[in-house]
Amino acid sequence: MFDFSIVTTWIDEFLRTYLPEFWVLAIEFVVVGVVLLALYCVIALILIYFERKICAFFQCRLGPNRVGPYGVFQSVADMLKMLIKEIIPINHTDKILFYLAPFFVLVASFLAFGALPFGRGLQAIDMNIGVFYLLSVSSLGVLGILLAGWSSNNKYSMIGAMRSGAQLISYELSAGLSLMTIVVLSGTMQLSTMVENQSNCWYLFQGHISAVIAFIIYLIAGHAETNRGPFDLPEAESELTAGYHTEYSGLQFGFFYLAEYLNMFIIASIATTVFLGGWMPFHVTGMDGFNAVMDYIPSVIWFFGKVFVLMFFSLWVRWTFPRLRIDQLLNLEWKYLLPINMVNLLLMVLLVIYGLTL
Amino acid sequence: MENIKQLVLAKVPDALIEEKQYLTVTVKPEDLRTLAKALRYDEAAGFDYLVQLTGVDYGDSLGVVYFLSTSKDLNRTVVVKTATADRENPMIPTVSDIWGTANLNEREVFGFLGIRFIDHPDMRHLFLTERWKGYPLRKDYDASEVQNPLDLTSYDMPETSVKWVSGEDGIKEEKIQLFKDDDYVLNIGPQHPATHGVLHFRTVLDGEIIQKIDVNCGYIHRGIEKLSENLTYPQILHFTDRLDYLSAHINRHALCMCVEKAAGIEVPRRAEYIRTIMDELSRVTSHLLSWACMCMDMGALTAFIYGMRDREKVLDIFEETCGGRLIQNYNVVGGVMADIHPNFVKKVKEFIPYMRKNLKEYHQLYTGNVIARQRMIGVGHLSFETAVSYAVSGPVGRASGFSCDLRKIAPYAAYDQVEFKEIVRTEGDCLARYMNRLDEIEESLHIIEQLVDSIPEGDFCAKTKAIIKLPEGEYFQRIEAARGEFGVYILSKGDKTPYRLKFRSPSMALVSVMDTVCQGAKIADLITIGGSMDYVIPDIDR
Amino acid sequence: MKSIIKYITSIFQAIFSLLSGMAVTMKELFTKKVTEQYPENRHTTLNVYERVRGELVMPHDENNEHACTGCGICQMNCPNGTIKVVTKMVEVEEGAKPKKALDRYYYDLGKCTFCNLCVLNCPSKAIKFQNTFENSVFTREKLYETLNKEGSKVREKNKE
Repeated sequence: MFDFSIVTTWIDEFLRTYLPEFWVLAIEFVVVGVVLLALYCVIALILIYFERKICAFFQCRLGPNRVGPYGVFQSVADMLKMLIKEIIPINHTDKILFYLAPFFVLVASFLAFGALPFGRGLQAIDMNIGVFYLLSVSSLGVLGILLAGWSSNNKYSMIGAMRSGAQLISYELSAGLSLMTIVVLSGTMQLSTMVENQSNCWYLFQGHISAVIAFIIYLIAGHAETNRGPFDLPEAESELTAGYHTEYSGLQFGFFYLAEYLNMFIIASIATTVFLGGWMPFHVTGMDGFNAVMDYIPSVIWFFGKVFVLMFFSLWVRWTFPRLRIDQLLNLEWKYLLPINMVNLLLMVLLVIYGLTL
Repeated sequence: MENIKQLVLAKVPDALIEEKQYLTVTVKPEDLRTLAKALRYDEAAGFDYLVQLTGVDYGDSLGVVYFLSTSKDLNRTVVVKTATADRENPMIPTVSDIWGTANLNEREVFGFLGIRFIDHPDMRHLFLTERWKGYPLRKDYDASEVQNPLDLTSYDMPETSVKWVSGEDGIKEEKIQLFKDDDYVLNIGPQHPATHGVLHFRTVLDGEIIQKIDVNCGYIHRGIEKLSENLTYPQILHFTDRLDYLSAHINRHALCMCVEKAAGIEVPRRAEYIRTIMDELSRVTSHLLSWACMCMDMGALTAFIYGMRDREKVLDIFEETCGGRLIQNYNVVGGVMADIHPNFVKKVKEFIPYMRKNLKEYHQLYTGNVIARQRMIGVGHLSFETAVSYAVSGPVGRASGFSCDLRKIAPYAAYDQVEFKEIVRTEGDCLARYMNRLDEIEESLHIIEQLVDSIPEGDFCAKTKAIIKLPEGEYFQRIEAARGEFGVYILSKGDKTPYRLKFRSPSMALVSVMDTVCQGAKIADLITIGGSMDYVIPDIDR
Repeated sequence: MKSIIKYITSIFQAIFSLLSGMAVTMKELFTKKVTEQYPENRHTTLNVYERVRGELVMPHDENNEHACTGCGICQMNCPNGTIKVVTKMVEVEEGAKPKKALDRYYYDLGKCTFCNLCVLNCPSKAIKFQNTFENSVFTREKLYETLNKEGSKVREKNKE
């Protein structure tokens, strides 16, 4: 499979022959940052189109089909609209916090975005505490939501923000514990090592029962983390008219909107990397011909393919089910997901000790 | 009826008893409460269901007409009338502690006629603002713009109200506070995606728990009752389509039946069958929309689109025969406006199996869903006594055990020719109301398939005079609309226009019971309960 | 022990109900969509029924004649004053009294409630509802229409 680190090391050496150390690093940082930002925005546009079309097909209608063939430029039109909309300044709000809140949410999701392995050799930040870093950075988003609700000076927003805060803090526990289950199986937290270890068999199959349960719990908890699907009470349109981001307009709302879609992408990517093998193709031990065919497909395609399948599930769930009420949501977490998670962790430890994994 | 007469004469010896369309008892205001308590609490009587409360301006006096019925047998009815000749400061004792539904109805009478009800807990205008000068339904009302100019200034809503309390030394006015100082009041509506129209709730919250709801309606009040006093009967018909627009056929049917019975016009059998089939199709569309909106309020947007897609098929059938989708404009006095289109029977017969298949899909998608069940079971409990006291009928009343289907109890049109079940459940929570509606769609399909093949030949409309004049008297008519019992009251003095016309709205009863049902529920439950009650605001505000 | 069994069975029941709901939407994903592409299908699949009450018209035949005698019954029956009939006196043959005829027939599309009373009560069947529904204009004055065309006159009834 094509290894992108060939390209990156070539660029690095090319720069080093001409420029001193400081400038090489500076140029590399800027280039990587710009590439990631561009990728962030482009993925958001593709996701918005994807969601609108799939949601329309579920609802027996066609979705956007006028702007461009099959409506592909609809997201671009939406982006332009968001950029040129007026940002309405509100009286009696806490101005500094009001303007700062969207940035918290955006920065948190961007920090997590940077640590994902997109393909062989395409990982911007590869720390040895990879999983732990991802979990801690995605919890910074809670701050942004609480600030947004509080500083809006609007009863609806505050109710939405309080609900959201309670929800996010509870579900982070479940998400973290289910990822810890896989860390027990893999023995390392570094993302690139985890992906390398799945070259023969994905962790989902290696840890069989325990990994499947952890996968399902992680998907549910991840959904709740992103305020999507049946857990979107904080921004319930038909109840609280948009909850914590009621008072935001124009580009500030665009930030919240972008961050929500990218959070969905990030949760799906973390699930792919940890459970489904990241950019590793699907190998079956013993069938070399099959494996060679699988190797032809580039790693980037594998990664994005798996992520899009998980996101299709996410959309499917969102557009089928009604919302849970706040006490039922917290009930689900503390009485069902957390106990099952803890039992599952114990089960995984037993499986690893007795060598019953594949 | 004899024992009722004896009971009345025993309690109030100088009551005037007449046998008109129903047994009518006229008393003086001082004796009203004695008679009301006797009729309500006495064993032989047991009139616990106040169907209509109408205020009338008789010219020399201002009065109120009460139409009472019993919950065990809706065919037993009695009409109580009272009037006071004091036009400057009319006072009549309240009955809102005896029948809960009198609360909002007496506020409406106060707003329109100026009659103050003694001991009413909250005597405010219901539909008009407190700055309105004059009482619109009085015959000497000055409707010019000088008296009530268009006011575009914004002002705060009132937080106080008055109460007229009777004591030893006469009747005193007492100010009451609606909200305490440290109450957290949240405004839900009037522009809100989930209130099904322009309705304003001022909710007092404690965290997430609701403590009190103050309903503020009147945003879409168009003055239909006052307008009707200057129009002839065929001209009033087009207003009824715009009251509860989801069961437009049924409302128009009620007014046509009232006029036909009063004027003695015989409706041909073909027209009765067509009217019944159209009524049931309207009921199907109304319940479909109610299901779709309830699912949407709870978050399942896909279910909303499915309900609408199926409703389109019925609206196509309506469009082909009647010429309109929402405002069908089909019934006239004497029959229907035009014969059914040749494709009508074929399309209806294609629709019935299609809808049955989709009903199964709805149950699979939504009813069995664990999230939906958790949000609906046990939420918003409405007991039988509260339902009867607040005159809640229709699928909501039947979900609390109140058997009130007028199609079965007092059949009209072609309902005596068909067999169908009356769906009654006793749990009284949101799931019971939801299941009632879906089961009623099934029963409506059953009724339609029994009728559609055997529509008799004949005229589709009886010949009527060009100008219809009703003989002098009072006429009531009750009909089962999709939301409950819809009623028409016409007081005619022999002209071609009615002297007083009143529409009894089923949604007003539903909205008046929201405060009682939502005590102690959460905000998310308020939305679910509102969706399961399914009130339509133009029906409340008329 | 029983409560643990109830706990576990409730989880499985819940998951089963959720999955069956998801199956319904999945099936819907592949069915034919009901959306009509509106302005493009005006002449192909758009089917507007003939009884639809779109707009009131006074049909004129090829001699530019209509059937309205100017009796004003439609104006009396209209509940909210949408129709205004303006008549004029017309000279007939020599010696006979001048007859009343229709001068202008004003119809306010902005106020009409489409109740059909005018059409039902017209003794000469001069007006009817047509199913054209694309009636929006930019200013309200354009909605105040005159239904009889220029230079038209009432069709003479043939005296047998």
